[in-house]
Amino acid sequence: MPDKVSPVDALPPASRKYGALGARSDKPHWGMIVDQERCIGCWSCAVICKSENDVPLGAWWNRILTNGVALDQPRTERGQLAMEWLPLACQHCENAPCTKVCPVQATYHRSDGVVMMDNDRCIGCRYCMIACPYGVRTFNWGEPERPTTHETGMVVARPLGTVEKCTFCVQRLAEEQVPSCVWSCPAQARIFGDLNDPSSRVATLASSARVLLEDRGTRPSVMYLAPRRKQSI
Amino acid sequence: MPQSRRELLKRGGAAAATLPLAGACATVPAARDYDVAKSLPVDKVVRTTCSPNCTGSCGQLAFVRDGVLVKIQQAADYPDAAYNPRGCMKGLSYLNQVYGPDRILTPLIRTGARGSGEFREATWDEALDRIAADMQRIGAAWGYDSIHVFGQVPGSGYIQKGANYRAAALLGLTHGTSFDFNGDLPMGMPITFGVQNAEHEAKDWANSRFLLLVGSNPVETRIPDVHFIFDAVAAGAKLVVVDPVFSPTASKADAWLQIAPGTDAALALALCEQILADGLADLEFMRTYTDASLLVRADNGKRLREKDLVAGGSDAVFVVWDEATGGPATVGTSRLGFADGVRPALVGTYDVPLASGGSVRATPAFTLVERELLAWTPDRAAQVTGVPAERIVSLARAFARTKPAAILMGGGSNHWYHGDLTGRAFGLLASLTGNVGRSGGGFSVYVGQYKVRVDTSPWWNPDGHKANVVPSIYFVRGKTATMNAAVPYPKNGWHGLIVTFANMFVQTMDTNELHRTLDGLDLVVVVDHQRTETVKWADVVLPATTWYEKTDLTATPLHPYLQLQQPAIDPVGQARSELAIWRGIMTRVAPDLAAKYFAMTEEDAIKAILAASGGPGGPTEGITLEQLKAGPVRLRVPDPDVAFVHQIQEKVPFPPQSLPAALTATAAFVPTRRIEFYKEDDGFLKLGETVPTYKEPFDDGANDPKRYPLRLLTPHSKWRIHSSYANNAWLAEIHGGRPEVFIHPDDAAARSIATGDLIELANTRGSVQAWAHVSDAQRPGAITLPEGWWPRQFAKGRGVNELTSSAVNPVHEIRFLGNMWAPSTGWKDCRCEVRKVAASA
Amino acid sequence: MSATTVPMTRVRGDTGWGLTVWIGFLIVVMAAGVAAFAYQFANGLEVTGLRNTMMWGNYILFFMFFVGLSAGGLIVASAGKLFGVAAFKPITRLAVVEATVAVMLAGIFIVPDLGRPERLLNLVLYANPTSPMVWDITIVVAYTVLSASYVWLYTREDLARRGSWLAFGTGTTAREHARDERMKAALAWVALPAAILLHSITAWIFGLQISRTFWYSAIMAPLFIASALVSGLSLVILLALLLRRLGRIDFEDRLVGFVGGLLAVFVVVEAFFVGSEFLTAAYPGVPEDLSPVTRLLFGPYAPLFWTEVLVGLAIPFAILVVRSWRARPALVAAAAILAVFGIFVHRLNLLLNGLSYVPISLPPGVGIGTPQEGVSFATYHWYVPTVVEWLIVLGVLAFGALLFTLAGMYLPLRERAATSSAGL
Ligand SMILES: Nc1nc2c(c(=O)[nH]1)N[C@H]1C(S)=C(S)[C@@H](COP(=O)(O)OP(=O)(O)OC[C@H]3O[C@@H](n4cnc5c(=O)[nH]c(N)nc54)[C@H](O)[C@@H]3O)O[C@H]1N2
Ligand SMILES: Nc1nc2c(c(=O)[nH]1)N[C@H]1C(S)=C(S)[C@@H](COP(=O)(O)OP(=O)(O)OC[C@H]3O[C@@H](n4cnc5c(=O)[nH]c(N)nc54)[C@H](O)[C@@H]3O)O[C@H]1N2
Ligand code: SF4
Ligand code: SF4
Ligand code: SF4
Ligand code: SF4
Ligand code: SF4
Ligand SMILES: [Mo]
Repeated sequence: MPDKVSPVDALPPASRKYGALGARSDKPHWGMIVDQERCIGCWSCAVICKSENDVPLGAWWNRILTNGVALDQPRTERGQLAMEWLPLACQHCENAPCTKVCPVQATYHRSDGVVMMDNDRCIGCRYCMIACPYGVRTFNWGEPERPTTHETGMVVARPLGTVEKCTFCVQRLAEEQVPSCVWSCPAQARIFGDLNDPSSRVATLASSARVLLEDRGTRPSVMYLAPRRKQSI
Repeated sequence: MPQSRRELLKRGGAAAATLPLAGACATVPAARDYDVAKSLPVDKVVRTTCSPNCTGSCGQLAFVRDGVLVKIQQAADYPDAAYNPRGCMKGLSYLNQVYGPDRILTPLIRTGARGSGEFREATWDEALDRIAADMQRIGAAWGYDSIHVFGQVPGSGYIQKGANYRAAALLGLTHGTSFDFNGDLPMGMPITFGVQNAEHEAKDWANSRFLLLVGSNPVETRIPDVHFIFDAVAAGAKLVVVDPVFSPTASKADAWLQIAPGTDAALALALCEQILADGLADLEFMRTYTDASLLVRADNGKRLREKDLVAGGSDAVFVVWDEATGGPATVGTSRLGFADGVRPALVGTYDVPLASGGSVRATPAFTLVERELLAWTPDRAAQVTGVPAERIVSLARAFARTKPAAILMGGGSNHWYHGDLTGRAFGLLASLTGNVGRSGGGFSVYVGQYKVRVDTSPWWNPDGHKANVVPSIYFVRGKTATMNAAVPYPKNGWHGLIVTFANMFVQTMDTNELHRTLDGLDLVVVVDHQRTETVKWADVVLPATTWYEKTDLTATPLHPYLQLQQPAIDPVGQARSELAIWRGIMTRVAPDLAAKYFAMTEEDAIKAILAASGGPGGPTEGITLEQLKAGPVRLRVPDPDVAFVHQIQEKVPFPPQSLPAALTATAAFVPTRRIEFYKEDDGFLKLGETVPTYKEPFDDGANDPKRYPLRLLTPHSKWRIHSSYANNAWLAEIHGGRPEVFIHPDDAAARSIATGDLIELANTRGSVQAWAHVSDAQRPGAITLPEGWWPRQFAKGRGVNELTSSAVNPVHEIRFLGNMWAPSTGWKDCRCEVRKVAASA
Repeated sequence: MSATTVPMTRVRGDTGWGLTVWIGFLIVVMAAGVAAFAYQFANGLEVTGLRNTMMWGNYILFFMFFVGLSAGGLIVASAGKLFGVAAFKPITRLAVVEATVAVMLAGIFIVPDLGRPERLLNLVLYANPTSPMVWDITIVVAYTVLSASYVWLYTREDLARRGSWLAFGTGTTAREHARDERMKAALAWVALPAAILLHSITAWIFGLQISRTFWYSAIMAPLFIASALVSGLSLVILLALLLRRLGRIDFEDRLVGFVGGLLAVFVVVEAFFVGSEFLTAAYPGVPEDLSPVTRLLFGPYAPLFWTEVLVGLAIPFAILVVRSWRARPALVAAAAILAVFGIFVHRLNLLLNGLSYVPISLPPGVGIGTPQEGVSFATYHWYVPTVVEWLIVLGVLAFGALLFTLAGMYLPLRERAATSSAGL
């Protein structure tokens, strides 16, 4: 075996440049914006998340909801068929119900706004799952099963009996790279960056973006750009 | 007493209970920062290209740890940032194909009856000896041309798939076709433009002001490219989607026209008619670039030629009626447009004196086209297509008034027996509005990954040897009465089949017909890395490497980048590359040829190809293997790469070359060397298809609408590339892994079918059982069962293609050039009836 | 007088044989429970009927239920002391024992619910002040200690009299007796707020969760207190009647009548809260089909709600309001059984309706968390506890029964004859 290297250092220069975090302050608050007009419900972000983070079968940190009657099936609105997609993962709430209820502070805030999990501390009470208004947490009910013959991904798998969820790919942030789902969105519908840096793309778009379940007062760090209004021909 | 009780509750109870908690809950716990987790290290990251039969051709990075793939992610390294990142959830989940339970690890030799799926593991020598021996026996008894090699479209791998051609060329095997067989060959293109096909690179969609999508579902079938449409829309472009089904693409559109299946040509003709009626047509474009003004003889329907006017005149010089002189004028084929001063008439009928004495009545082709169009009033079109007349009118006006306007046609409109007519009609619409050859405009048919962008001849045709190419449709159903004489059909029929890069027994039309052919075969070899249905029917199975385990050269119609596949891991199990496999076979069948022609490595082959098309102005001029190893390299083509740009800007005669064919071969399709809307060949005359027209779907004849009232649409699934990825564990978690048939509530109610019910689809050709999904997105009378599900995933049957038709349209046989003018399949041209088998559990 | 001189003896009239069988049986069930727990510990909670779409089930259900049951002891004891209701005296000791056992079981039920029970200590090491669960576990433990000391206070003099080591060397002097009385009084002042806290915090575990529209309501705490009173008192009545039959304690039927009346009041109070919560939710008439009301009335769990209302509230009340009926122990017992059952169903209702619908319920829903045939997502979860879950629950229940049996055997539950006939 050759001695190992960081997967970021090993990237072709062009790829590394593509994935670099944009403008950021020295005290960043990471945020993400998903453009529902551009989203095509392809699940690439969900699949790469599974791959990047070695999420076992049955569990998804990131999933794509159809605003319709079934997966990829439109709803009827004022006599017209209509459909959009709603990619959903941890919203990294500033006022996070999950961190409040965790009896052992195993899920907690980082100063850069990321809501993290400490899977070595988690006692598996699943109170955080109950508290999360977005249903984005998943529990390790049994030993992880994979379709491949070996462990994959870029982080170590979480232990049985603990809860896991989207981490904003902190392992990548640590090397100045955007999260994997942002990298892999073929529709370029996901924008990531420092909400504290007014010159960043997320910060500029944030003003026109909306958050999910605003009435719950969770103050998410993930925001959405609503689908456009259609023109007439 | 009560007094004190209340007191007590106040003091003791409530207050004590709430205060501490309330206080604490006001705040969230303080932040913690103790972890600086970084990604786990890897051995290396290798840049390669995802290459199923997809057209995506997306650069991927293979992350390797301890010798195994641990992540696949888009390379996103295209110099043209707009193309980043190319890729989709399927490519990203290929890990599960490489290491999944269906991966074939060793050669297999059949032990049970064919199709029993009973095999024993074998050594490579054993397997190859067996194949070589059988091939020699068949070759001696029937001739090597009775062995049919089916290898699918070349674009996804010029070298490994090229090895098929190379071997076939040397041994005289018959090589099947793919582009036509796949029903992708848009016959309207060779007929009208004299090319195999020609499209704008996806990036150019963003330059459009008006996008008209017909039978195309890019949101699901062009996942890496569809964002260019959104870029255009964001810049104010309008998006109109014509589809019988409310497809995910329709959900993004400004307008969705729910057309009756198989009637697109009628819509196109009506649009043209309306544009003419409104005086919005670009007649100058028609004059300059098309055959509109060329005179056609009223007596025999042939074009008037110089030789008709003067003795010894040329057969390749045509005649117009010059309004300037009030007489005939001749036009050559060396340049588009006309000599200065000539004002060719587009309308009218003229008596033209003949060399033979006397005169002939002749009409400009445009007048003949217009005559056909006159019949296509919005009202008539509305009756045929089900699209309201007023919407047709408003669409026509909007389309004609907005420039540039692009027409994107897909398989949904093309995969019909009369798909050629549809293509010709939309080609006319694009020309009438002067959109051809313009950035942001054009008429592009996006279908399979057929495109040969570089000169592959040094690899495919060693020392000029060429494979014996026969359309694979004739393998499936034998000769047709109308088969073109030029087709080199093997004199002793079919005796062997070698399938590679294809899941033939799932993806072939009229599957039961194919099985009849199969029964007569002495040898069936299948090369694949997944245990597909096709593998099940093989005598010998050879384990192939994936594109993470071998070297190849790829390109696609969607973007003009040349890319490599580069091995990231050692072959899994005993897998071997196709080149290695053919080398093994050749060494046994023809050692001398093997030594001479199969010693080459992939890299040698790539170098040879780069050299062959690397001349001045050539597509690979200055491109080296080293550059390709580092990343994608844009071919030397205009930017943006726009179809027919030379013809339109420099008036160079049509057609541009369609590799690998010689220019002369395809130029023959359009003798006027212009865009042809009038076809004079006897075949067209006989069938009354000289000008773009509309004909009813063909299967209505074969499958009586009374007994088989439903149209069966089998579009491509977002979750698969055809049948590939149908066994992918991650994706199955999302879509559930069992075939669903989408049916409109009315059709369902009429058959008391509910979502989840097990239903049977049947017609005269076959039947299959799957599960119903009642959906408002469907059009009444048309059901959708996306192609590509494996038979093992159905409740019963050999898959949806038991029902599809192998009918051959004689127009596609008027000429013959494999993959360029050959029978194109009408997958969607299919009727059936549905019945409930069992209610949902 | 005789009773007081009885040393640690078996229940009169009870054959040692029958008792041994009973205890043997309990031990077998407990063993099964332990085995089931070991199995669950080894394989993870995958062996339960729970998934991401329904993350709490049987264990939490019984936790809630037993917290409620523990209320009985306190009402009886403190009511006796604080409100000078002497009538309870004959059943006070029994009541506090019941409370102790119940709250202890409640605490135990939390353990099998954890994915990582071996990390229980983290609750102490990293306790999160903002977590209702931390406060609830604290109060459960505190309340257990409290009730236990109650038991001791009420029985220590008799224990000392028999020279039992359980008296921990204390004697039977008048001074000590007086001190007991003072301490009982003092304890009552702590116990009542403690009880209110216990039920309130347990309620807040659910009621404070804005993520669950079905729970997020201010009435949750009062409702829990009321229902606790109902179930707690009911259980005391039942146990009292049982022990009287076994001849371990004795009291006149009018006590039953009196308690029945009290129970009627509690039932009304609970009905009031249930009703007003329902009205508040229903009145705005939110059309949204997942609104709590529609769920209650027409959801798949609607039958539970109606059971709760009819069997749990209406019928018991009907029985208990009628003075002549409530004078008949058999009928009061029946009402009590129904009431307890009603509260159980209420807790079940709360859990199922609160959890089995995923928060943002667009298709395909939430990844259920384990591989399965077909789609791995769901917007709704029909929860059926597995055998493992039942075995563990039964094991814990058996443990409770055992404790109570032992208490019955070794603790003087009968009040000293002298004070046994205090009037109302
Ligand atoms: N995900 C995915 N992508 C793919 C492929 C794949 O298998 N999966 N295959 C690749 C290949 S090889 C090809 S050829 C292309 C094909 O992909 P597309 O060109 O998109 O063709 P289809 O998916 O067959 O059909 C597209 C749409 O046409 C509609 N349609 C059906 N009948 C008619 C009709 O009569 N008129 C009109 N106007 N619309 C109709 C269908 O409802 C469907 O929404 O996709 C390529 N990309
Ligand atoms: N009913 C219906 N049928 C259709 C269509 C339709 O619209 N409707 N569409 C048609 C069209 S457009 C097309 S293009 C065809 C596509 O038909 P196919 O090209 O046969 O499609 P796939 O199912 O992708 O089969 C590709 C096979 O190649 C294998 N493979 C992948 N990589 C390699 C490799 O490196 N080496 C080898 N040896 N094998 C490899 C895969 O495992 C898979 O089994 O289907 C056609 N069939
Ligand atoms: S989305 Fe859920 S899990 Fe993520 S921070 Fe908010 S509450 Fe916590
Ligand atoms: S499951 Fe783990 S993270 Fe969630 S609340 Fe319980 S201890 Fe905290
Ligand atoms: S940020 Fe990382 S962890 Fe979160 S959804 Fe995206 S890929 Fe998954
Ligand atoms: S990858 Fe992008 S387009 Fe695809 S589902 Fe995710 S957000 Fe939507
Ligand atoms: S499957 Fe097609 S679109 Fe997806 S990554 Fe591979 S080539 Fe690209
Ligand atoms: Mo295709």
